[in-house]
Parts: sequence; C-alpha cells; structure tokens
Amino acid sequence: MSKRLTHATALATAVATLFLAPLSAHADGAREIQVAGRTLTFLDGGPTGKVTFAIVYDASKPASVAEKDEVMAALGSGMAAGSATIVGKPVEAGAIGSAGDVGAYYITRGVNFTAVGSAAKSKKILSIGSDMACVKAGACVMGVAATPKVEIVVNSATAAAVGAKFKAAFKMMIKEI
Amino acid sequence: MRKITPLFAAALVSLPFLTGGAAAQSIDYGSLEALFGEPVTTSATGSPQRSTEVPVDMTIISAEDIKRSGAHDLPTLLGRVPGIDVLNWSTYGADIGVRGYNQPMSPRLLVLVNGRQVYLDHYGYTAWSTIPVQLSEIRQIEVVKGPNAALFGFNAVSGVVNIITFNPRYDDVDGGSVSASSRNGSEASLTHTFRPASAIAARISAGASRADEWDNTLGSRAAGYRAEVSKATVNVDTVWTVSEKTEVRFETSLSNSQTNDMISLFEAVPSKYLTSSVKLGLTSDTKIGVISAVAYRNALKHNVFLVHANGSYDNVITHVGVQDLFKIGAKHTIRLGLEARNNELTTSPIAGGKVSYDVVSASAMWNWAVRDSFSVSAAVRNDTLSLKREGSFAPGFPLASNANWDRDISKVSYNLGAVWRVSDRDSLRLMAARGAQLPSLVELGGLQLRVPYPGFSVAFMGNPFLEPTVVDNLELSYDRTFDSGKLGVRVFSQKSEAIKGQPSSTALFQMPTLTSLPAVSWQNVADSEMTGFELSASGRLGQAFHWNADVTATDVTDEAYPGVALPAQKADFSRMTPKTRGNVGLGWAGGKWTVDTFLHYTGDFTSYTPSSYVVVEVPAHTTLAANVSYDLGSNMTIAASGQNLVGGKQVQTSGFKVPATVFVTLSKRW
Repeated sequence: MSKRLTHATALATAVATLFLAPLSAHADGAREIQVAGRTLTFLDGGPTGKVTFAIVYDASKPASVAEKDEVMAALGSGMAAGSATIVGKPVEAGAIGSAGDVGAYYITRGVNFTAVGSAAKSKKILSIGSDMACVKAGACVMGVAATPKVEIVVNSATAAAVGAKFKAAFKMMIKEI
Repeated sequence: MRKITPLFAAALVSLPFLTGGAAAQSIDYGSLEALFGEPVTTSATGSPQRSTEVPVDMTIISAEDIKRSGAHDLPTLLGRVPGIDVLNWSTYGADIGVRGYNQPMSPRLLVLVNGRQVYLDHYGYTAWSTIPVQLSEIRQIEVVKGPNAALFGFNAVSGVVNIITFNPRYDDVDGGSVSASSRNGSEASLTHTFRPASAIAARISAGASRADEWDNTLGSRAAGYRAEVSKATVNVDTVWTVSEKTEVRFETSLSNSQTNDMISLFEAVPSKYLTSSVKLGLTSDTKIGVISAVAYRNALKHNVFLVHANGSYDNVITHVGVQDLFKIGAKHTIRLGLEARNNELTTSPIAGGKVSYDVVSASAMWNWAVRDSFSVSAAVRNDTLSLKREGSFAPGFPLASNANWDRDISKVSYNLGAVWRVSDRDSLRLMAARGAQLPSLVELGGLQLRVPYPGFSVAFMGNPFLEPTVVDNLELSYDRTFDSGKLGVRVFSQKSEAIKGQPSSTALFQMPTLTSLPAVSWQNVADSEMTGFELSASGRLGQAFHWNADVTATDVTDEAYPGVALPAQKADFSRMTPKTRGNVGLGWAGGKWTVDTFLHYTGDFTSYTPSSYVVVEVPAHTTLAANVSYDLGSNMTIAASGQNLVGGKQVQTSGFKVPATVFVTLSKRW
C-alpha cells in the first residue's frame, strides 16, 4: 500500500471514529417512556401528582415483554414529568379490562392494539404506543419514537374520542394525522 | 408632546379589538427542549419549531454553550458561530456581520431580546454594551443567517440575532458572579427569580462592569476618547399567569454605557448611551389560535463625538403588533400579523429639526407539512413607511424645506423554504429570501452638522432621498446527524441592490449655490453580489470531549454606480470582506473541571485607518480564547478565561490593536 494511500486510510478512519455512526434506528423503551411521560405536560388540564401508566404487554411475545421490562425499569419508583410523577403497572393485554384506575395505557410493540385501543376509547383513557402503526390505525392517541430522533404523532380523531386536548405550541411541533 | 399620526393611531386602536377576550400561553422552551431533545425556536417563522426543522439557516447558542464559553460579552459568543465576522474596535465596541459586508456600525444584522428590537434605529446598528441582559439569564441565542424580514421586518437582511432569556414562569434562575480582568477590569452580575404572588413570577437582573480602554496604538483618536469605559444594566421580567391559557408578560430595562465606538465614517470616538425600554405582551391560546399582542417603547439618548462636534440624539421607538397563529387541519400552520411602529429622532449636532416615520406592516406565513418528510413554508410581509420632517434647518443648508421629507417607502419581503428529511439522519433545505435594509434616521436627516474649512464650510447632512438596500438570498443546505456528531454543508448566493456609501468630500450630495453650502451625505452607490459556502462539523468523543470546526468562504463582487469611487465612500465590500473565516473548538469535562479552547481565523481584508482614511490591509489573523473552570461545590464555580491570547496586541482591524484580556470569575447559583 502506498504511503499516500495509508495516510488517506488513516484520515478516513479518524473521521469515521469521530462520528461513530451506526445507521440503523432501534427502539429504546427507556427513552420512549420518558418522551411519553413528558407529553403529559402539554395536555390541557394535564395530570398532576402520582399518575399510573398501565404498561400493556403480550406475554407470548418476547419483544413486548422485553420492552415492558425496559419501561418498568426506567419508571422505577416514579419518573418526574412536569408536575406529575409517573409510575408503571404491568398489565397483560388480555387482562386490560382489569387494569383498574390508570391515567394512560402505554402499549408495547407486538400487542394487539386494536382491542386495547377500543378499551381505552370506551374508558376515555389516553393511549400511547411505541409502535406507530397503533396511532396510524387510530387505536392509540399518540405514538412516540425516541431514536434516532424524537418523533411524536397524534391521531386527532382518537384524541377527540378520549377527550384529550393538547396545548397549541405542542400541536404545532408534532405530526397530526 | 409627541404626535401620533392617524395611521399609527388606527393600529393602536385596533389592538384591543384584535386581542379582546383572548385567554394566553407562552412557549415553555425548557419543557419542549427536554421533550424533543433539541432546542426549539419561534424565530424562523413565528411558529414554535424544532431547531432541526426550521426553514431558515439557524444556529442556536445554548445556555450550556454560554457557560462553557468563558465569554463576557455577546460579540465574543457570536464570533464563534460559523460565518460570522467580528470587528473588535474597543473594550465594548464591536461590529458583527454575517458572511461579509461588516463595517463600523454594522447595519445589516437585526438584534432583538425576546422579540424586542435592541438594534438602534437612530443610526442603524447594535451597540452591544447597551443590551440589558446578563449572560447567565440567557436561555439561548438564535442566530439566523440570511434575510428573515418576512417575520421581523426592516433590517433583518444579513441575519437576525434573537436573544431568548429564561421565562420566570417556567425557569427559576438565581445566581451572581464577580470578575476581575486585565486593564483594571471588574464586573458584577446578579440574577434573582421570585414569586410575589402565586400567579406572578418575576426575574430581576443587574450587572455592571468597567475597564481601562485599550492602548492608543495608532497615535490618533478623537478628543474625549475615554481612558476608562463602564456600563451598567438592569432588567425586570414579570409574567402574570392569568389562566392556564393566558399569560401577560411585562419587561422593562435600563442601561447606561460610557464607551468608545468606531463610527461608520471610520472615526474612533467617545460615546455615551442611556437606554430604557418598556414592553407589555399578551399571549393567548384561544379557539381561533394562539393570539399574541405586544407593545413596547424604546428610548435612547446617545451622545457621540461626530467629526468636529458633539452629537446628542434622542430616539424613541414605539411599536405595537398582534399576530394569530393557528393550524388548519393537521398539516397547515398559518400566522397572520399586523404591526405598527413610530420612530422619531431629533436632529444633531445642530438642533431644531425632528425626523420621524411611521411604519405599518402586514405579514402572513403558511407552513405546509406536505409529507412526514417534506414541508414547505412561505412567508410574506409588506412594510409601508411614511417619512416626514418638522422643525427648522441650519442656516445655509440645502434642501431646506420639510416637504422634501414627505415620502413613502413600501417594500415587500419574503421567506420561502423547503425542508426535506431525506432519512432519519439527513436533511436538505432550500431557502429563498428577500429583505430590505432601511436607511437610518441619522442618514435620512438626523445629521445636521456644519464643518468649517479655511474659507468655506461644508454641510454634513442626512439624505431624504436615500433608498433602502434590498437583499436577495438563495441558499441550499445539507445536514447529517451521527450518533456522536453532525455535519453541515451550505452554499449560498446573495445580491444587494442600492448599497449605501458613507459621506465623502469627493462625492458631493448637493452642489453649493449662492445661498446654500456644499453638502455631503450617505448615498446609494453600488449593487453587490456575494457567493460562498460553509462547512461545519461538531461532535463528541466519549463523554468527556466535544469539538467543533467550521470554515466559511465568501466572494463579494461590487458593481459601482457610474462615477462612484467605492473606496472614497468606504463601500468597497469586495475588499472589505475577508474571503475566509473559520473556527475550531475543543472542550473537555472531567470531575469538577472543564476546559474549553476556541480558535478563530479571519482572512485578510482591506479597511481604513481611522481619521486619515488611508486604505490599509488587515492581515489574516487567528485568535485564541480559552476557559478553565473548577466546581468549588455548594453551586460555586471559579473560572479563568482569556480572549485574544495569541501574540500580545494583535492587529485585527484598521483600528487599535486588540490586547489579550484575562478574566478570573467567581460565580454562584442558588
């Protein structure tokens, strides 16, 4: 290898090292629940004090269980979100009817969101999903993604159905469908 | 008593009706930034947007950047933004240009604090020492490169700097600092946030500093040039939360700055500024959108030595505005705005006259999220200015009829932008914009100066026929983010029509007659074109190191009007603009220590020696700044920082050599 080429290779390696750029996006349950929690600040008449999120998962799907575990670990004994503190309660999707008094459903990937979304609408409960298909299908009020960039999508019709109203500045910065 | 014209009165009267019954809510920058993981801004379109999605070329300096900078003034901070040129003239005197066209009393950059103009309309520039803001109370500084006149109006032509302070409703900022520096310098700063009632939050801030002025390394400067400079500012920011959706914000400030300036004629002179401001804003989240109304009044008293005589200018700006920001469906955001402004200035050094204008402006913005990955925005604004003059004229001055000032100027400005997110990591922007730089009130007639020469006198006067400079800008940008950094590439082209030249005895504005003196004034002297590119990159190395590097190249070509010698009128920007400028920064944080270094390079350019106006070459130069801080615990920090640390006194302009300055600062937050 010529000396010039060696230098060029070294320079390219150095530049690549500076950026260290894996190009694929990946789900990050801990960051996504953080984003979901922070959106509560922008709800009109948003909750204050202790708020319980039902972390909805499908026990037959390892990815859903893993995400539930990530989210529960991130919430720990309570995650601050504005003037609210969010705590998690794992709820198997098939037992959503017995979730009890919760502030929101957080629906993990792989869950049959249609059924859970219907339950949320009937109970007028905010539903948030990490799977954008959930919000696109109208089962979730909101879909959140955290990597590589925070993305928030709100389904206006579903939001209206559960009586969720967001502040104007927030609505201007997210995607509505 | 000041008269209010019918047009201005109509705008004032309409304000309550436009806002009546509204309830209000302001932008909670901190919560939105925490949510989206990046700064948010309203300085691009008037609508809140993520910094990576704005349809303008914007750089945001964060509070953390400021903390790590070691800077003690705004020009030092801004000089580290890619593409920014800084001319350092004196301890507090500096001029900032964006991608060229910088000059003493730089008129092309509009500067605001929370949307209130702090750019001084009387002479069309920013005296940075008068800005009543402590660095510790700044949430972020938004720097827009290129015209953004469709939102901000006249003078937002080469760029906009909007300084956003913390909002006492959301942000509890308390702290103070004391500094000692070279040349017997000392500074003190205090910021305190408090809640006098449950629905009212307020922040008061104050600061003062003094230092010995730089050495006279040229051998000539004006009589009265200050050996010691000082400044003091105080600011009060109060927010009343009327309801969850309604907010009233009241801001008021004072500043007193006794400094030295380089004025546009290339004269190093003493200046004294007294400024005051009062601003009242209402923001309301209503069924018809977010309605914002604002009214403010800026008052300035500026004493300055103007070539043979002391000038004393009293300038009052009264501004009212209202806008409605709303969405139509899921994909369309609309902003409609109305503004009115009255601006008046007494003539000086020879008193007796008053030049004033009213501006009425209507603006609209439409942002369309065409697809998830593609959005377009279009903003347009019309400003109509009615100029007038009243009062007497100095004996022997030409154009001695106030009717010469009865004139309307109407300009349309626009900002068009398309943002395409090619992938999660790549984005492209295409931007086209037009803005107008208004002649200042001094240039339109506020100057009334008789300069005696052996056997005759010359009238230095304003020019009521001066045309605004119209700036068109086209830019394409590409940005890519990485896990540990980002990369940006910009190419741009700009055209300026009717550029303004300085008064010159070689270019008489009015020929002498039997009854009137020969006169010199500002005149439109050239068109100019600039093309260039900018490369920037920044990132992190592990958790401890961060770095940034950028280079901006510009090529300016002037086309002088027939018979005009641009050097004589100090408007040969092709030579006054460095072709290259760039920055390299490296920072490290570990344990209780932070260390940051900043290198800034400026290519060579041509300028004028103060007073003699001899053309000189300013050599290419590199400046070094550094900041080392140590956390003492109990929220106390001690820092040593320095500016211009290379090679002692350094030639950076045609003015006095810039000395090294070292600061030691003790700060505490509580």
